[in-house]
Amino acid sequence: MKKIVVTTALLAGILAQAGGFRVALQGVKQLAMAHTSAHAEDASVGFFNPAGISFIPNKLSVAAGGFGINADISYQNPSTLESYTTENPMGTPIYAAVAYKIVDEVSVGFSFATPFGSTVEWPTDWAGREIVQKIELKAFYFQPMVSFKLAPWVSLGGSFIYAKGSVDWTKTVSQLGGTLNIKDDQATGKGFGLGFYFKPSEKLDVSIAYRSPVDMKADEGVASFNVSSSLYPLLGLDANGQDKFKAILPLVDEYTLGVTYKITPKWQISGDFNYSGWDRYQQLTLDFENAPVGNQPDDPTKLVSPKNFHSTQSWRVGTQYMVTDNFAARLGYYYDESPYSDENFIPETPSFNANVITGGIGYKWKGLGIDLSGAYNFQTPRTVNNAYLDFYGQAKAKAYYFGLGLSYNAF
Amino acid sequence: MKRILISTIAVSALLFNISCDTDFDQDVSSIVVSKGDADFTKYVALGNSLTSGYRDNALYIDGQNESYPSMIAQQMQLAGGGAFKQPMMPNNTGGFTNLPGFAGKLNLQVVNGALSPVPSAPAAALDNVTPGGPYQNLGVPGAKSFHLGAAGYGNMAGLATGQANPYYVRFATSGTSSVIGDAVAQAPTFFSLWIGNNDVLSYATSGGTGVDQTGNTNPATYGSNDITDPNVFASVISGYVNALTANGAKGVMANIPNVTSIPFFTRVPYNPLTPALLGSNITALNSGLYGPLKQALTAFGAGDRINLLSATSANPLLIVDNSLTNLSAQLTLALTPSLGVQTATAFGQIYGQARQATSEDLVLLSTSSVIGTPVTGAPASINLNGISYPLANQYILTKTEKNKVLTATAAYNASLKAIATSKGLAFVDANAKMIELSKASGIQFDGVKYTATFVTGGTFSLDGVHLTGRGYALIANEFIKAINTTYKSTLPMVNVNSYSGVKFP
Repeated sequence: MKKIVVTTALLAGILAQAGGFRVALQGVKQLAMAHTSAHAEDASVGFFNPAGISFIPNKLSVAAGGFGINADISYQNPSTLESYTTENPMGTPIYAAVAYKIVDEVSVGFSFATPFGSTVEWPTDWAGREIVQKIELKAFYFQPMVSFKLAPWVSLGGSFIYAKGSVDWTKTVSQLGGTLNIKDDQATGKGFGLGFYFKPSEKLDVSIAYRSPVDMKADEGVASFNVSSSLYPLLGLDANGQDKFKAILPLVDEYTLGVTYKITPKWQISGDFNYSGWDRYQQLTLDFENAPVGNQPDDPTKLVSPKNFHSTQSWRVGTQYMVTDNFAARLGYYYDESPYSDENFIPETPSFNANVITGGIGYKWKGLGIDLSGAYNFQTPRTVNNAYLDFYGQAKAKAYYFGLGLSYNAF
Repeated sequence: MKRILISTIAVSALLFNISCDTDFDQDVSSIVVSKGDADFTKYVALGNSLTSGYRDNALYIDGQNESYPSMIAQQMQLAGGGAFKQPMMPNNTGGFTNLPGFAGKLNLQVVNGALSPVPSAPAAALDNVTPGGPYQNLGVPGAKSFHLGAAGYGNMAGLATGQANPYYVRFATSGTSSVIGDAVAQAPTFFSLWIGNNDVLSYATSGGTGVDQTGNTNPATYGSNDITDPNVFASVISGYVNALTANGAKGVMANIPNVTSIPFFTRVPYNPLTPALLGSNITALNSGLYGPLKQALTAFGAGDRINLLSATSANPLLIVDNSLTNLSAQLTLALTPSLGVQTATAFGQIYGQARQATSEDLVLLSTSSVIGTPVTGAPASINLNGISYPLANQYILTKTEKNKVLTATAAYNASLKAIATSKGLAFVDANAKMIELSKASGIQFDGVKYTATFVTGGTFSLDGVHLTGRGYALIANEFIKAINTTYKSTLPMVNVNSYSGVKFP
């Protein structure tokens, strides 16, 4: 046992996690244990693995929670001696889930979550303002799901993902002497989830899940140029200085393997492996209707920005100790890897390698549970070496999360 | 159980120590800027319009505040640099009301639905700011290499004869002082010297109407649009550098960009006569003018001077090239049978040295307003500038003229490099930077792409010759890099995007 724990801890230091604009905050209890997945205690398991809802101990389960994210990114350029720190508002991802066991073999559920998003606001005079001044990305996942118990110890579940999202991105257009805002809050996408959940003994939970990629299509985007009106005719803008644009933002797929083992009736440990397909995000294309602000020789209205993300892996370890029958104490650790190299650092999605320590407590009374959790990110400063944008310097970040979750299990 | 817990905690703690340093190795606020081997206490900048902050065809306050020497001086102040005073103009328009040929700055305005640079009226009479001196920015718009050493270049009385320059008159310490003398009198510890552009530029912007004075070592005999003799150039600059370095001052020099990299010469194509522009006139032009001319010229072995106009692709301008053999008499003779003596004589005079432009000729930016306009006094059927009437010498820098400019520039640049090297001075290859800028890929800075394209490139001001604040900032960074490399100083770069570009109305 000792060997397993030590080995897991070591691996956690070497391997990595999602990063990018994936916000891995879909369960307060789970976060306290490094956001591991094999916890079929309430309906929140549905987001992690639809098959997990079959093993919720009660007929009906409802869970909901919310988080606060405080994150600040600092950038400095030793060449110009400039330094800037973001003025980010607090991020507030939320989730809600319900699961119901129709018969012992068949459970249905619904999960609502905000698994992707990013809000970054830099000072308006900052060095990278041509890339981003302010960006707000959001994606809401609505997932109806069903799970079948194939045997008393194994279930198979699936979900349909309907995603709705928004983008609101402001940057300067220095050569036009103004700013550009692109906005679409009508972006949608579709996907699915699939998983197996095993419970071969009372001591062991094993969760295997896949969540498909989702292409968020923004078809009704509005590009608003805040520039001299004398430029409107040259840019093909309407009387309000606006143009239309189309874009597709890929939300990536994720494979998860999770295990929870009860060492004693009171003490359990969990481990997770995730693989996130960030290599889908190779470039971002903004296709304007009229404005020739692109960079393609054959199509001056098409702006293609290379992103060159690579896929990431992550390992997580968490543990829970029942101090009393009602009161749980939890701890966790995971290592988070950025999905891009220093050469591809982009300040609209600042991402760092990070060690994350998590913790939390929970109190159960009859079917009602209340959980608190928190996490602190120790993010490794990095070099910014983006030759494509001629954007150089160093970046660092600090971030912490806290969450409050409620769950209710009945019958 | 306890042991497992303890070892888990121990391993976690170990991992933490390895990778949990969340701060920068060094915060930029704690970086000490070093002057290296240089001493920036008294920095003086010598040069021409580029040094003064001239842009949009005028010297005005906003431009002066974004001159490259003032940017450099600001960075030097982080490493012991002293105050840097510039002879500020009294207004933000520029020009001199009491002197002909000194208009106010160009402004971009909507003219007939299109954005065009429009000159403004000069805002004030020539002022004098000498009492506010001495000034550390000694850049004098219009100055050529040999002007910096000319005593009396700032004498009001010399303005009428062209021996003085109003921009130097403003701040010259006396009627007999020279720019270099005023600089040396301040006992500078550091200097920048970027001079020589006008030694070729005035020839080039005048369409090569001046004389290439290579071989004539007496600049007193030069006209204002002449090319300076490279030996004169080398000797005066060598003299300046000797004077400036006599007390051990360090400095930085820069070479001269080729005219082929600046929009004043690249904006207007050699072949702007599109079929759409010429319309139905093409047939008439070919049968009445281009055809007969080509036929006659071919007979004299010069048929390649003119080709028939194409109805499908863009056509070159018709220009005068003084380097061509004058075939006036021959043309008149050949055309007399078909056109009659009178018309044939006129044709002969007009087209004797005419040819169509090629991609090797440079059309001046100012010529764009002349193309297609009627020439007064010319016969009505052949009076359209560049279309039926050859553009006069002053509108085009022909291949021959361009090559004279490039040859002189190369000679100047070789001397500048040799002088800088011999004195161990920092050296800026401004020519290379401008060539880089004039390529399609341009130069990026923090996500903004700059090119040498007129207006939209962001680096050249509305006169097509001088830079914008952002263009000057690109140059300032080249100076700073060269200074840092040579003197092991660590002056920070300036943020190019923070300065002003072209202003839209």
